[in-house]
Amino acid sequence: MTPPRDVEHLLRELAPQVLGTLVRRHGRFDACEDAVQEALLTAAVRWPAEGAPENPRGWLLSVASRRLIDELRREQARRRREETAARLDPPEQLLVPAPDGERPPERDDTLTLLFLCCHPVLTPASQVALALRAVGGLTTAQIAHAFLVPEATMAQRISRAKQMIRTSGVPFEMPPEPEVGARLRVVLHVLYLVFNEGYTATSGPHLLRTELAEEAIRLARTVHRLLPADREVAGLLALMLLTHARRSARTAADGSLVPLAEQDRGLWDRDAIREGVDLVTGALSRGALGAYQLQAAIAAVHGEAATGEDTDWPQILGLYHLLERVSPGPVITLNRAVALAMVRGPEAGLELLAATDGDGRLSAHHYLEAVRARLLEMSGDAAAARAAYRLAARRTTSLPERRYLESRAARLAPAADGPAT
Amino acid sequence: MKYMLMIYDNPDTRELFFSEAGGPLMAEMDALMAELRESGELMGGEALADPSHTRTVRVRDWAPVVTDGPLAEAKEHFGGYVLVDCESIDRATEIAARWPSARFAPMEVRPFMDGGGADV
Repeated sequence: MTPPRDVEHLLRELAPQVLGTLVRRHGRFDACEDAVQEALLTAAVRWPAEGAPENPRGWLLSVASRRLIDELRREQARRRREETAARLDPPEQLLVPAPDGERPPERDDTLTLLFLCCHPVLTPASQVALALRAVGGLTTAQIAHAFLVPEATMAQRISRAKQMIRTSGVPFEMPPEPEVGARLRVVLHVLYLVFNEGYTATSGPHLLRTELAEEAIRLARTVHRLLPADREVAGLLALMLLTHARRSARTAADGSLVPLAEQDRGLWDRDAIREGVDLVTGALSRGALGAYQLQAAIAAVHGEAATGEDTDWPQILGLYHLLERVSPGPVITLNRAVALAMVRGPEAGLELLAATDGDGRLSAHHYLEAVRARLLEMSGDAAAARAAYRLAARRTTSLPERRYLESRAARLAPAADGPAT
Repeated sequence: MKYMLMIYDNPDTRELFFSEAGGPLMAEMDALMAELRESGELMGGEALADPSHTRTVRVRDWAPVVTDGPLAEAKEHFGGYVLVDCESIDRATEIAARWPSARFAPMEVRPFMDGGGADV
């Protein structure tokens, strides 16, 4: 059952605040997180029926506290039964605080929580799941649906992640100053993974998947609010906004992918583009460049072009040069080959591809063949382009990409094979 | 990434796994399943009944033609599958290599088709 959107948004907003307060008061992140999740589920059922309480944060905190204390008492009793010899202190500290008089905390623990959930002792898949639950306030069932795995699988992934945090004794505090930069990069990467999972989901029955993109934007906004001076945070938020702005235009009504050059730019979200452009412009004007800022800058150049033909390809090519220097990788080289072809002609792009042929990281990757096909098509070599599209189609594991690549190949078919368009 | 680990077997491996001598192999399989469940990678899996229960269906001129028995006289039959959601195909391959039946008959590791698509 899903509560109305306003209740759900309120709960998701409050989730990390309540959890932060509880962990500060009692420690034990794992038990606190369970208690908050239970309180959220109770609220999701009750509030729509009875109306939200006057002090929703205080309500959640007191319900979660009571759950937590019950659980800790049960645990203590279990332990006492198991170790009769050991006398434990009476649980004086386990008193339910008065529900009234709860004020929002002076500090926002959201960032501390996010750092904890994205701790390097966890695998990326666990970081993503835990961050969405503990910071995003999503239920295990919602996360499982969004990632298309059984709920039991996701529940186990989350509980194991919490167990890892508990046994590795990670404290509930911000990482020490020298580590903040590296740890923040992990947090941003997790948000980027969540965004991509949602953005690449095409239309269809997976509404929850597409909502992941909005959730990632919401969390990136929060991080940006808490760390306004960090340029890569601003860059990532800008990149998400500028990419998400194209969501309505990137698929046709039947769910098939529409390439950038053929998208109906009237469908692009102008407000999101404006906000993204402002963010990235502000970040770029402040010196040292990061990969997210550069990718956002590239998305901004596309976003500002009124038509595909108006795209400032020389500027995009320059940005890919910089990006390749900041964070080298085969996919960036391929994108640079496309930009190079747009500026200096397909042969220049194909030459660059030939130079990457020895790169083992790319040899089996469909994207290399997809780019080659596109450049061969530009150069007028229909037969070679068709063969490359077919090879790329076989190599991708994405269903919409496969359909797209097969359709490009079919378009280039000789007349005898079928109608050419 | 989601993968299907496809378990192939032949009459000999079926006999071995379901005989008394197969007890330790089955226990090993259960332990591996438990490990994958615990790691949050296991999505599911099933074993299929003996291939002699197979029916093969073809449609000819819009009418189904049903025959008893598997597709063709093959040495190996598809015997069951495990679904995992894990980091990479290398990790999925590592799991397949630890599957006890892989010592007697091949395993295939194949990625799922992904419903999402990147920008083109």
